[in-house]
Amino acid sequence: MKTIRQADIGAGCFLALLGLFILYAASNIRVGVERALSPRFFPSVLGFLIFACGIGLAFKSWRFRGEDPRIHWPDRQGAGIVVVSLGMLAAYIALMKPLGLPLSTFLYVTASIGFLKPQKWGTAIATGLILGIISYVVFIDLLQLSFPVGSLLERLLEG
Amino acid sequence: MSFSFDHLIQGFATALSLQNLLWALVGCFIGTLVGVLPGIGPASGIAILLPLTTVLPPTSAIIMMAAIYYGAMYGGSTTAIVVNIPGEASSVPTAIDGYEMAKQGKAGPALAICAISSFVAGTLGLIGLTFFAPLLADVAVVFGPPEYFALMFMALTLIISLSGRALLKGVISMALGLMTALIGQDPLTGAARLTFGFPKLLAGIDFISVIVGLFAISEVMVNVESRITAISQKIGSWMPSWADIRQSMGAMIRSSGVGFFLGLLPGVTPSVTTFVAYDLEKRISKHPERFGNGAIEGVAAPEGANNATSTAGFVPLFSFGIPTAPSMAVLLGGLMMYGLQPGPMLFKENPDFVWAIIASMYIGNVMLIVLNLPLVGMWARICVIPFYILGPMIVFFSVLGTYSIRFLAYDVWVMTLFGVIGYFMRKFGYPIAPMVLATVIAQMMEMSLGQSLLMSQGSILILFTRPISAVFMALAFVSIARGIWLQIRSHAPEVAVEEVD
Repeated sequence: MKTIRQADIGAGCFLALLGLFILYAASNIRVGVERALSPRFFPSVLGFLIFACGIGLAFKSWRFRGEDPRIHWPDRQGAGIVVVSLGMLAAYIALMKPLGLPLSTFLYVTASIGFLKPQKWGTAIATGLILGIISYVVFIDLLQLSFPVGSLLERLLEG
Repeated sequence: MSFSFDHLIQGFATALSLQNLLWALVGCFIGTLVGVLPGIGPASGIAILLPLTTVLPPTSAIIMMAAIYYGAMYGGSTTAIVVNIPGEASSVPTAIDGYEMAKQGKAGPALAICAISSFVAGTLGLIGLTFFAPLLADVAVVFGPPEYFALMFMALTLIISLSGRALLKGVISMALGLMTALIGQDPLTGAARLTFGFPKLLAGIDFISVIVGLFAISEVMVNVESRITAISQKIGSWMPSWADIRQSMGAMIRSSGVGFFLGLLPGVTPSVTTFVAYDLEKRISKHPERFGNGAIEGVAAPEGANNATSTAGFVPLFSFGIPTAPSMAVLLGGLMMYGLQPGPMLFKENPDFVWAIIASMYIGNVMLIVLNLPLVGMWARICVIPFYILGPMIVFFSVLGTYSIRFLAYDVWVMTLFGVIGYFMRKFGYPIAPMVLATVIAQMMEMSLGQSLLMSQGSILILFTRPISAVFMALAFVSIARGIWLQIRSHAPEVAVEEVD
């Protein structure tokens, strides 16, 4: 999809299907005691609205014959950076529970800065350390918020 | 509840004692920090500190709690402007133009105008609270579920108008936002809706995850793909010019009125009034095309409405014991912890206490502007931090903020998903604001519609037969008709206003 028109036709078709799917899901919602406002009401209205808007968007874009703006997609390198950055974020979330917030923060921040600016590994490690320490001292120790500490750090602190 | 100068002067005498001044200052400082830190909102900030205040006398403790609350309202816009992370829904309209200003090297003036607008609106709101509370509280009780539903329906139709040429995409964005909020359990019956067999989805989707994902994460994605070196290459003047102040003064005053009067209604939170105030400014502006591209009135209006609404929330809290927002509910808990029962009797039985709190809010407002204006330069400098450092820091604070809502990793995954959705919405020219507002108010809308239908034994006509709700519904339909008319006449492709470079 290189232009807004192409994207709108694709998105319109997708939304129309999504609307139908929501309508189907809404029809399967279990209604217990009859109430003035059924739990199916809003999902059904929205399913229909999304379906109608999807069809409308696809049709309007299909008929459109004017100047079609291009979508600013990233180049190959930019797309690679986005994908790797998202992968690192996913790893950060996945590791937060087993490793704890401080350690996973240190790893995520260090790896991210190191990846975005390979010449600055020193800065990466320093920033990672600072944020890892802040996450423990401010949010876990001082504010007593229930962030995961991680068994490794727990053992280290107990020792 | 009645106003008397004697009570107010006595309130000032209590609030100006050295001890109470100190606790107000501490509250303002902590509140500003709470507002700036994305990991912790005013409600959780007050809740965390509530047990610690038991060592203080009741008046000092509540003065400090109230100061944390309105201090957080001041600080909340900082991250929205400098790094495009609106920590709460009410900061979303501020981020639209504030972040654009930051990118243009005008983070300082944007932050300063925020502080000034908050001060002006806070003071005007306090004057309203002091003098008109009895009368206004009577008006607030006229609002029943049909009026609330109609008001929120009108707010939704107004916000879609922010989409400019992309009206259809605005409606789609709103519908997707409403759909997101419906995932989970039905608030009235507990029935599982749109969970598609995934038990985790029963927990629903918290709107903070949606907001942070749509704004902060998608912004980081857009910035890393284009390999920008910093959000802004330069720091211009830290202070706004007189022209900036003159330009935004009208917006400050109008938004104070909008925020205050709507804020009197229980359930109408700053997340609604800030959008209404922003929309109003855009509609009456001679140059609406500047909105979304760094209009200073677009920063002043939501900030003014935010603070005026927060101040107005004290009217139903003190007069009826009705909290209008989660943070107000925590404050109510604080009052009850000290054996004070908010309601009409509070003013009769504890006038010294109530008027001391109101007087301390005037003082706190002055403290906040004195505290915040010198810090503007420091916050503005965040924009020139190299993005390879700032980007991971934004993600770190986003993860902290999202995880701390319910301490579920699931919320952080949802944030990431909405980051990706936000990225594609930007690319395809979909406006983000309608989705955010819809996510925030969906449950309130559904609840008030359900209650309205209960009142009318299932007749939808109740929305059109009560005068106030009928006016709101009529305005909403006018807005829809205007949108459809513009759509029919438009021969341009659908691209959201915010996305037009």
